[in-house]
Amino acid sequence: MSEYEATGSLNLPTESMKIMAESVGVAGLSDSAAKELADEINFRLKTVIQDATKFMHHGKRKRLSTMDIDHALKIKNIEPLYGFSNPDHIPFRFASGGGRELHFLEDKELDIADIIGGSLPKLPLDVSLRAHWLSIDGIQPAVPENPPSLSKDQQRLESSDPVSKLAKIGDKTQKKSTTLTATNKPKTETVQVKQLTAHELSVEQQLYYKEITEACVGSDEARRAEAFQSLASDPGLHQMLPRLCTFIAEGVRVNVVQNNLAPLIYLMRMVKALLSNQTLYLEKYLHELVPAVTSCMVSKQLCLRPEVDNHWALRDFSSRLIAQICKNYHTTTNNCQTRVTRLFCRALANDKMPLASFYGALVGLSELGTEVIKAFIIPKIRAIGERIEPFLDGTGQANADRIAASHIKQLTIKVMVPILKVTRQPPDNVDDYRQEFGYLGPALHGAVNRARSQTTTTTASSGVISSAAAGSLGLSAGRGTIVVGGASGSATTSRNQSSAVANAASNPTKYMFVTSRPSTPVQATAPQTTQVVKLVSGAGQANKQTVMTTNQPKYVMVNSSQIVRDVGNKAPIKMEGTEGTPEVKMESSVVIKTENITILDD
Amino acid sequence: MEYSMNQLPQAINSDAKTQSSENQNSEVASDNSAGQTLDSENVDSNTLAAVLQFLQKHNLKGTAEALKKEARLKEDQLRDAQALQVDSEATNLLSSYKSEGDPNAYEKAYLSYRRFVESSLDVYKHELSLVLYPLFVHMYLEMIYNNHEAEASKFMERFSIDQEDYYQEDLKKVSFITKKEHMKGSDLMENFKSSQFTVRMSRDTYSVLKRFLQDKNQSIVMNVIQEHLYVDMYEGVPRNKAQVESTAGAMEGEANRQVNKTKIYYGLLKEPDIQLSVVEEEEDGEPGEGGEKPKKKKPKKDPLLNKKAKSDPNAPPASRLPLPDLRDIDKLEKVRALREASKRVALGPDSLPSICFYTMLNCAETVTCVEFCEDSSLLAAGFSDSILKVWSLVPQKLRAMKPAEQLADIDKEAEDVLVRMMDDKTGETMKVLYGHCGPVYSASFSHDRTLLLSSSEDATIRLWSLQTWTCLVVYKGHIYPVWDVRFSPHGYYFSSVGHDRTARLWATDHHQPLRIFAGHYSDVDVVQFHPNSNYVATGSSDRSVRLWDCVSGNCVRLMTGHKGTVSALCFSTDGRFLASGGADQKVLLWDLAHGHLLADLPGHTMTISSLAFSRDGTVFATASLDGSIQLWDFFRMTDESSLEDVNISGHNPDLLKRSNVIESLRLARYPTKATPVMSLHFTRRNLLLAAGMFEG
Repeated sequence: MSEYEATGSLNLPTESMKIMAESVGVAGLSDSAAKELADEINFRLKTVIQDATKFMHHGKRKRLSTMDIDHALKIKNIEPLYGFSNPDHIPFRFASGGGRELHFLEDKELDIADIIGGSLPKLPLDVSLRAHWLSIDGIQPAVPENPPSLSKDQQRLESSDPVSKLAKIGDKTQKKSTTLTATNKPKTETVQVKQLTAHELSVEQQLYYKEITEACVGSDEARRAEAFQSLASDPGLHQMLPRLCTFIAEGVRVNVVQNNLAPLIYLMRMVKALLSNQTLYLEKYLHELVPAVTSCMVSKQLCLRPEVDNHWALRDFSSRLIAQICKNYHTTTNNCQTRVTRLFCRALANDKMPLASFYGALVGLSELGTEVIKAFIIPKIRAIGERIEPFLDGTGQANADRIAASHIKQLTIKVMVPILKVTRQPPDNVDDYRQEFGYLGPALHGAVNRARSQTTTTTASSGVISSAAAGSLGLSAGRGTIVVGGASGSATTSRNQSSAVANAASNPTKYMFVTSRPSTPVQATAPQTTQVVKLVSGAGQANKQTVMTTNQPKYVMVNSSQIVRDVGNKAPIKMEGTEGTPEVKMESSVVIKTENITILDD
Repeated sequence: MEYSMNQLPQAINSDAKTQSSENQNSEVASDNSAGQTLDSENVDSNTLAAVLQFLQKHNLKGTAEALKKEARLKEDQLRDAQALQVDSEATNLLSSYKSEGDPNAYEKAYLSYRRFVESSLDVYKHELSLVLYPLFVHMYLEMIYNNHEAEASKFMERFSIDQEDYYQEDLKKVSFITKKEHMKGSDLMENFKSSQFTVRMSRDTYSVLKRFLQDKNQSIVMNVIQEHLYVDMYEGVPRNKAQVESTAGAMEGEANRQVNKTKIYYGLLKEPDIQLSVVEEEEDGEPGEGGEKPKKKKPKKDPLLNKKAKSDPNAPPASRLPLPDLRDIDKLEKVRALREASKRVALGPDSLPSICFYTMLNCAETVTCVEFCEDSSLLAAGFSDSILKVWSLVPQKLRAMKPAEQLADIDKEAEDVLVRMMDDKTGETMKVLYGHCGPVYSASFSHDRTLLLSSSEDATIRLWSLQTWTCLVVYKGHIYPVWDVRFSPHGYYFSSVGHDRTARLWATDHHQPLRIFAGHYSDVDVVQFHPNSNYVATGSSDRSVRLWDCVSGNCVRLMTGHKGTVSALCFSTDGRFLASGGADQKVLLWDLAHGHLLADLPGHTMTISSLAFSRDGTVFATASLDGSIQLWDFFRMTDESSLEDVNISGHNPDLLKRSNVIESLRLARYPTKATPVMSLHFTRRNLLLAAGMFEG
């Protein structure tokens, strides 16, 4: 038995005896004496440890502590080794020299003055008692105190191997049916199938579903935040998952047709919340989620006024969702990432594709990782350039197409720069770029050059970004940035948000909410067009001057050429559009309809 | 330090041993006496030497000389005797291991016996294989004793794998012994040398074994079987594998059938007649709702009382164990309990209890025990840092009594004198009791909620008052850590168990234990009072459960079958059944009438920490440190096992082993997130309370 062998091998060797003898001043211990000692000490040690485990078991612990050893020594009438209690693991130090190897405990010298003079350690929290229902009339309620009723591993098993679930149900039914005659067998099988499809929702769950779906697409921003929070953290949702996924899929279908941007954004945020729920395994519902999310990326038209509304943000956000789905749920059987990649590639290859869809496919591919970009986008840059050239240069084109084309240009540059910076060796030559990338060559060249020169000067402000991101969902688009603030935003966060917006552009960060930008400030790349749409909430007393009431969600739109550096400041917000009146919309807890997310066009 | 230095462990062990031999274990006694007669000559000179020593010590030279002359003892002989006396104890007991044999013969002998078991008929195989483990251990010890260390370790390495899984832990301990000198003082060794390993087999099996031993001239095997084994023979069909395995595993082998023959009174005591006071109290105590309540209550209560009033043939006579008289406050309490009981939810497979879980936060790895009081209003928790905390689980705060000078002012005749006694200013939801100087391993409330017992590593038991919130008595009797203490359901008596392998019965007004129950071969880890207070059950690390009679002090039931330390015990509501849970993750159910194993409930994945029967005796709850609670249909469990089939052959009836039956008995399983469950308790209305410390 391996266990026995393990204990058999756990003996102190005679060399240890000699070293220990040396350490207490006995030099030259003879071999036989060391052997005798080793045997005896091994036996004593083992019996002490064996007794110590008794104390461990009675202490209801799974880990032996130094106190247990002390108690074991005490019952053997041996003076305990005081001063060895330590809540943490004490690492052995290793030293070698003179052909000998030693493991020892480091005995640091402590300055008593430091201990006396130092601040007192924080008091541990007091023991407290908390009651919850583990079961109500035999049913375990799905509250956060209870474990999820179906663990993620089990969900995974069931989705990858549906037979396992079938077997379990079959077991139950067969047990009952064995008492019946064998001819009943086909009948029992049909019963099994019915059991599989039946999804019973309790009254509470139905109520929850109603509340959640209403809150998610409803008008109350605070409730919406709560609903998303619940979707992202509640442990007992897996039973409702089919309903929620159908809700999302249906919702996207309807709203894409009707071009309602806001509901689509909310639905995507629902997907985001479900994705971030640790207890859910969405693989079984990808057939509904993936088409829905992809629709929000590549649909020809997502809003009523494509030239005004910022549907780009939605496309970007959805593309990140699809990337996350691929990352989390790609398996060799569903081939999720492969299929998604193929879909986007086909879209890029299609010349008749509207520019908006073209953008969606491009951003989708770009989110799937550097390898995908290298394999599928780089070879196509020339084609992309040719595709958008007429819209950007030509004067007689529709405004919408021009915007789309410039978005595509921005995106390509943004995606390509970090890669080109690494793959291509300086010096960069404009002609080389032009030759390789066609129309986009010079722009890329400029961006890469700037990136190279600025890598050293730009400073990261990821901390600020994270604070902005934690409380809010940011949708970033090629030219504008939308920051949707949570209801709990305070004056300070809003200040952070504004500076975050300023810095976001210069920081290729990994945060999910803020896209990595080309490492140039926004002003530098597109000084005349970049705009920031900012939705701040509860911005505090500073804003009283400008019509807003405090503690209500507000939506501020600013032309970001003059980024508002300090919303929380006493100074009135300066808003200067290049043309027209600066538009400030303030609505306290109202529906964000599409017109609220408009962008000032210049 | 609590352990006095001159009280050596040997003294206790020998004390325990004599106690046990007196009590029940006749083999032990005979074993000891056999050892003594063997060296009668030595004993003689030993006694003389002792007398001489005494004389010399007290400077009685003349007498000493005379004695020497008379006994014609030579000086060297005396010295010999003195030397002998020093380790005579160990030598006597171990000398049976002395043999001149060739160490390699053991291996051959063991192999040949194993081959014999393997080649024997299937009917006999399983019973014969029971001999393998004791044979192996005794052979190993014999080799060690005769200084064949290298061969012994080889023997251990080669054959220890063969032994059953549940013996591996013991084998590990045996394998620590690699020197003759180690044999002294090892607790396991003491068991092997002092007691006989009981092997139960049918007459047929035994004759097969005997034939083998005679035919093959297996002197080594024969020697071990004769010296160290007790073969408990029975008439009838040899048992099958499942039957053998279900009761095997204890340190001393299986239970001797003879041990479980005594009749025990497992019935409940007759409830004192308090019906009159019920009505009175209701009218007096609750004037607000008194108007209609008595009318409603009466018809409900009557059957409850009548049922109990019927005298149970299995109940002990009321005078068997003197119990304290009921005080007024006890009667009040009983009335309250009855009133609550009438609101009880009837449980069953279709109406499962609700479970309220108390999670202790911010205390990972420091809580050592949790205990609910009988009426579910208090919760006590013991901590490894020697403190004891008591929480109130009801809105009512925990209050202390007023100081003496204020108490004097209270009108003693007042109706609400008990309320007036308490000081409202001291009201808290949680109180801390300081006093122990080692981890508190168990706590137990008295039924009237005024007293709390706690046991600790510091070898003491403390009695706390929950009115003054101070320690009243420190009971010092155990000299090693006290693992468990429990109040009798009728108060006054309590029982404790500890590392010193004894269980003790105490009364709150005595400093000394009333009874010492000795007989377990290892630590006694858990104790539980029978609902009629006449018996206590103990569970031990020797993997057996024993039932002791509080009146006679005898062990009346010995139940083997656990494969690990017994960690939880609980009597059924009607007193007939005992449930035990162990570190082997099993929950076993015993019929006390015959000491039979009824069911083996699997499903937990860690040590069982607590067991509870619902108040109506229909649902059985088990909790484990794996953080789950399981509910079982106890009504069907007892219904299906053939209780009336008083078996003649003397061994266990077939277990409810078939897995689908057991599975169907399991009503539910509730996991927690990361909280090992430490305690279970059914309230009077059949709500299940559970508690544990959060580890996540």
